[in-house]
Amino acid sequence: MKSSILLLRPRLLSFKNSINKGVILRRLPFIIIGIIFWVLFYIGTYKVLSYVRGIDFFGELISKKLLSMTFFSLTGFLILSNIITAISSFYLSRDIPFLLSIPLEIGDIFNVKSVETIMNSSWMVISFIPPVFIAYGVSYEAPLSYYIFAAATFIPFIFITAGIGILIAHLLTRMFPAKRLRDVLLAIGLLLFLGLYFFLRSITPLDTGTPEGFINSIMTFRIDSPILPGYWITEVIFPVLKNKALDYLHIALLLSNSAFFLMISALIGVRLYRGNLERIQPAGKGFNKGLLQDFYPNYKSAILWKDTKIFFRDTGQWSQLFIIGALMMVYVYNFKTIPVKAISGLSPYIKELMVLINMVMTGLVLSAVSARFLYSSVSLEGEAFWIIRTSPVVLKRFLWSKFLYGSIPVSIVIVVLVLITNIVMNVTGLLMFISVGTALMLCISISGLGTGLGAMYPKFKYDNIASVSMSPGGMAFMLIAFTVVLLTVLLEAWPVYLYHRATLIGRNMNMLEKVQSVLCAGLIVIINILAFYLPMRIGIKRLEKD
Amino acid sequence: MITLDNIGKSFGGKWAVRRLSITINDGEVFGLLGPNAAGKTTIIKMMTGLLRPTEGKILIRGYDIVKEPMKAKSIIGYVPDKAFFYEKLTGREFLLFIASIHGLGKMEALSRIEELINTFGIKDIENELIESYSQGMRQRLLFASSLIHNPEVLIIDEPFVGIDPSGMRRLKGVIKDLSSEGTIIFLATHSLHIAEELCNRVGVIDKGSLIALKNRDEIRGIEGGLEGLFDEVVYLTP
Repeated sequence: MKSSILLLRPRLLSFKNSINKGVILRRLPFIIIGIIFWVLFYIGTYKVLSYVRGIDFFGELISKKLLSMTFFSLTGFLILSNIITAISSFYLSRDIPFLLSIPLEIGDIFNVKSVETIMNSSWMVISFIPPVFIAYGVSYEAPLSYYIFAAATFIPFIFITAGIGILIAHLLTRMFPAKRLRDVLLAIGLLLFLGLYFFLRSITPLDTGTPEGFINSIMTFRIDSPILPGYWITEVIFPVLKNKALDYLHIALLLSNSAFFLMISALIGVRLYRGNLERIQPAGKGFNKGLLQDFYPNYKSAILWKDTKIFFRDTGQWSQLFIIGALMMVYVYNFKTIPVKAISGLSPYIKELMVLINMVMTGLVLSAVSARFLYSSVSLEGEAFWIIRTSPVVLKRFLWSKFLYGSIPVSIVIVVLVLITNIVMNVTGLLMFISVGTALMLCISISGLGTGLGAMYPKFKYDNIASVSMSPGGMAFMLIAFTVVLLTVLLEAWPVYLYHRATLIGRNMNMLEKVQSVLCAGLIVIINILAFYLPMRIGIKRLEKD
Repeated sequence: MITLDNIGKSFGGKWAVRRLSITINDGEVFGLLGPNAAGKTTIIKMMTGLLRPTEGKILIRGYDIVKEPMKAKSIIGYVPDKAFFYEKLTGREFLLFIASIHGLGKMEALSRIEELINTFGIKDIENELIESYSQGMRQRLLFASSLIHNPEVLIIDEPFVGIDPSGMRRLKGVIKDLSSEGTIIFLATHSLHIAEELCNRVGVIDKGSLIALKNRDEIRGIEGGLEGLFDEVVYLTP
């Protein structure tokens, strides 16, 4: 244990040494963006909660259900995040050879890597869960003890998911005899797919034909299983929230299970770790060169060719795709289950509203996917960036290659996503044209934003490329990108509303409405051009510096 | 000819290199020596365009590395001291990539790669991922990639790190051949015997300034040769 603490010391010292006035000033924009998002997240949660609690009869039940659903989703997210982070941390980190070469027990290395995994996989959730807790606390006028309890019970919750995730990571690495870790990650993807499929099947609403049936179906979502940690934490927090007696059973369940899963992951993990490390060493001989082995790229396409080739060979680069793919599946499935017919009586603009919500949600997916494919694309060069810097490569061309590398697959995925969801909702004609066109425009501008910002804040030294998109810069990019999406959709909503209103009352748009529409369109174009052009330009300048 | 004209580089107000002027002629093998942190790598980084000089200018066969970087870089071959590669490419693919960013045609690239793979003895591993290469094999690949476009200037930072005796013999032969063909070789090293064997002229720097510049005949005249010179100017000078 003493050695484990000693091994953590360099990390703590590095962190301490990296905090200085210059770094804080450089990161100030990101900190401000984070705080703004935090506040907006709080306001949004509070508003939703206030609305939900105002619903007759069901208000309190739905409020508790929402908290329970939040913890249920977090359980899945954290376990998956821990699996992926544990594989990077335990098996792909650069410090592994050094740690193995010094006189340390394997258990000490295991402990340090476990701490690293828990920190790296949970920091985002830990950063963004407080607004939810605070919103609930304020809404219920909870006592101070609620906040202390909420924070204290969240720690064992994190430990349970970490224990499970780390254990699965070691078992998967052991189960697959192939020396390539790619197979392990493929297995995770498959498990995730099957898990989600059966989960969605189990919670499919029985009746979406009427509003009553829909509410009943929400209430029968089978997420309140007493064997899930999300249920335990809800049962602990909710009574405290309402200033009622403590639920000692679920407190005990949380504490005992967190200790159990950490211990079992350590007991089994330590036994498997050393053997697993030897199994995943690079094979060397007999490498399959794959398709297009005789293709010789020209000067213009060389970087794109190189990046594409490396992408398919480097597991670290596409492991996050499973999460994104799963999110997209859930997304399309959700749109399929929305009872458009049942709720169409609420407003004549319901289809337009659904298309706009679709655009905003697609924008969220676009921001997340772009963080992985575009924001990280310059950093992807890693410490081999000297090759580009000392070669006769114009950096503008280099950045354009990176733009194409990410924007082509991202645009295809997003446009297909919008098309599928539109088809599911029976959207056709002008609405289809506008939404697909907007999606394509956003793909281009957000791709430019991501590539440019990635060049402005490159991170060439990393253990795992996934850490670049999860860095403060990556998070800031996602928030800025989402703001661009939101502004674009809001500005688009107004002319669509004006047009639809005029059509509904059987007239053409008047001059004032036309002027407003043109102004909105102009603003949309300006925002998107700026989002693309400015970061790309500044990014090139930044790369040309020392 | 390479001209370093009164160059200097400061990092946050602290000068790593100051008022350094050297001219290196065609076909010359020039050795840059100096103790640790003397500024050798900073000079090389400025010559290759990785860093910009704070003052002065660097001309590579007449091209200013700051004002005409593309022209200068297209005639430079560079071998860094710590080389990072694209680990998921094979050695052959890496050479193909370097050839294509230097604008070589396919036929020229393929024949040049074949020639270099044989010269540096990496034929057996050309189709393996670089991540499985040993340190010495990486160094050989690095040399091959730096020569793929027939550079007129070869800049080398610590040339023989991790290379076995056979590889070392090959490399020395390559450097001598290139020099005889008119290529300028600029190498920074701590290995005095290698510098003594290969270089026509050596410069010794300390704390970012040139403190000695001697040709081969002058070195022979010094007691203890290059080692004697090094001791005299670096360790014995107050």
